[in-house]
Amino acid sequence: MIGFDVVGFMVSWLTLFGIYAILSLTLNLESGTAGITNFGKALFYGIGAYVSATLTTYSVLVLNGVDVSETPPYDIRGIILLGELGNKNSLLNISFTVLSLVTAFAVAGLIGYLLTYPILRVGPAFVGFTLLSAGELLRIFLQHYEPVGASKGLMAIPTPFGWIAEGRVRELAYLGLVMGLVALTYLVVHRLVNSPLGRTLRAVRDDEIAALCLGKHVPRTKATVLFIGSGFAGVAGVLLAYYLTSVNPNMFVPLVTFNVWAMIILGGFGNLRGSLLGAAIITFVDRALTFVTPRLGVAVISPDYLRWVMVGLLIVVVLLVNPRGLLPEGPIKTPALDVIAKELRDGSK
Amino acid sequence: MSALLEVRDVAKYFGGVKALDGVSLTVPEGGLVGLIGPNGSGKTTLFNVITGFYVPDRGSVLFRESSDFVRINGLNPNEVFKKGIVRTFQIPRLFRSLTVLENLLVTPIGQRGEGPLRALFRGSWSEQERELAKRAVELLKRFDMLQYANSKISELSAAHIKMLETIRGLMTPAKLYLLDEPTAGVDYAMARELFSYVKRLGNEGLTFLVIEHRLEILMDYVDYVYVLHNGKLLAEGKPQEITSEPKVIEAYIGV
Repeated sequence: MIGFDVVGFMVSWLTLFGIYAILSLTLNLESGTAGITNFGKALFYGIGAYVSATLTTYSVLVLNGVDVSETPPYDIRGIILLGELGNKNSLLNISFTVLSLVTAFAVAGLIGYLLTYPILRVGPAFVGFTLLSAGELLRIFLQHYEPVGASKGLMAIPTPFGWIAEGRVRELAYLGLVMGLVALTYLVVHRLVNSPLGRTLRAVRDDEIAALCLGKHVPRTKATVLFIGSGFAGVAGVLLAYYLTSVNPNMFVPLVTFNVWAMIILGGFGNLRGSLLGAAIITFVDRALTFVTPRLGVAVISPDYLRWVMVGLLIVVVLLVNPRGLLPEGPIKTPALDVIAKELRDGSK
Repeated sequence: MSALLEVRDVAKYFGGVKALDGVSLTVPEGGLVGLIGPNGSGKTTLFNVITGFYVPDRGSVLFRESSDFVRINGLNPNEVFKKGIVRTFQIPRLFRSLTVLENLLVTPIGQRGEGPLRALFRGSWSEQERELAKRAVELLKRFDMLQYANSKISELSAAHIKMLETIRGLMTPAKLYLLDEPTAGVDYAMARELFSYVKRLGNEGLTFLVIEHRLEILMDYVDYVYVLHNGKLLAEGKPQEITSEPKVIEAYIGV
């Protein structure tokens, strides 16, 4: 393995892992804990990516006095201008990043809420397929919508740390941002799962009728969870757009959603550490394949195609051998556990 | 005693089947009222109408709020619950992936930590959580089930599952409890323990409407009994009047 860049590999793997970890943690909240069949993760991921790409490219051009009706960012002249102007002002780039993250969270979250609130009253399969088709509708719409570059998408997106000249430092700084947001997502989801809300979500998942009888407003609770989950999916989309510095509609095919499903099935439904583990394993295989493929030269079957076969096979094997995944769902950690533990101790004395 | 629940001329048809055919009854505030009748007489259907699962084809269900009666037929089950009516199911509907403790804690209404923002800040709900846990401990101790607090539902016996269904209902403060066969499959001593506890709560001012087939137990605790037969009210009265009523004996034995 001459010239194998271990650090480069690690950085690219961990960045990709971080982006997918945000998706898998929140999908686990939605589907693992709350039992909502969200087949539309790619929709909210795509919304986040496009919000940040559009907002950043247009704003950078406008602020530099470029007439975007003459030179839009998807035009070749616009792309060249973005490359020249985009990464000069550190404060501006970081401000755009923060603005993109907040806007993407709000837009994706709101669409998640509005889209699911009316359909949650029908069966879980309908929810899954509505979200799946909504994702496809968005993708097809984007393919034909000129202001966001249609099928070519947007390129040369100015990045948060583009002003750092040294490539490795820039990558590491970006990895730091990604990991920070993974930590934030984990903290939020972990707290929600281990709270009375998390308990209600599991109850709704187990028996919606009984939960309704106990006064739980089932559709609103589920829609709220989808607001949070979709908002974070939007954040993951922002991170992807800045990482690749380009977006195009075909990055958000339904396969992306099922890749995230494979992560939570492998890691364990309802277990957050399992989601991290699932994301780590699948993104590692993914990265490893992109490193290996060019070294194989011409092969009968490209490993790129094998990737999807492997993901499918993995889901089948896990479901056959151990449907709960690598790490099973744990108890809900609230102060009530301490009260019970104390009572049981006192009782046995 | 003033009425808490009034069912007026309620009918519910399923195609040609008249599950309920003009039933009227009154449940006074405080105490135990029994609802009996042979299989298929419409007892559970009446519960389903009261709790908003079915919309009646005719008639109305009125529930007293402070001094006024409000119609509750047409409300959703979760809205009926919020009025202060809790029900249990004949076939227990417990949350199977939750532990016994979690099943009890999920019930109480108005938990602070159920809102997504407050759930993030443990300090805002942990005190309430501890108090609910103490209430759960108290109930589990009374029915000798504390040792199962951290068990999953799948590890419990059928009798314990049945008991837990009732205990879960008692976790939340309500005005009216509808218990659907609370002691089916439960051993005699435990069944009596359950009823004497419910009786005591009834004396303290809570109201219970209980469906039960084990008349030999039920009759010792209830204040008043309604008998349903083929969707109609067959008889009503004090327990001793009902047990000696020829019409009731005939309906049960089915001559």
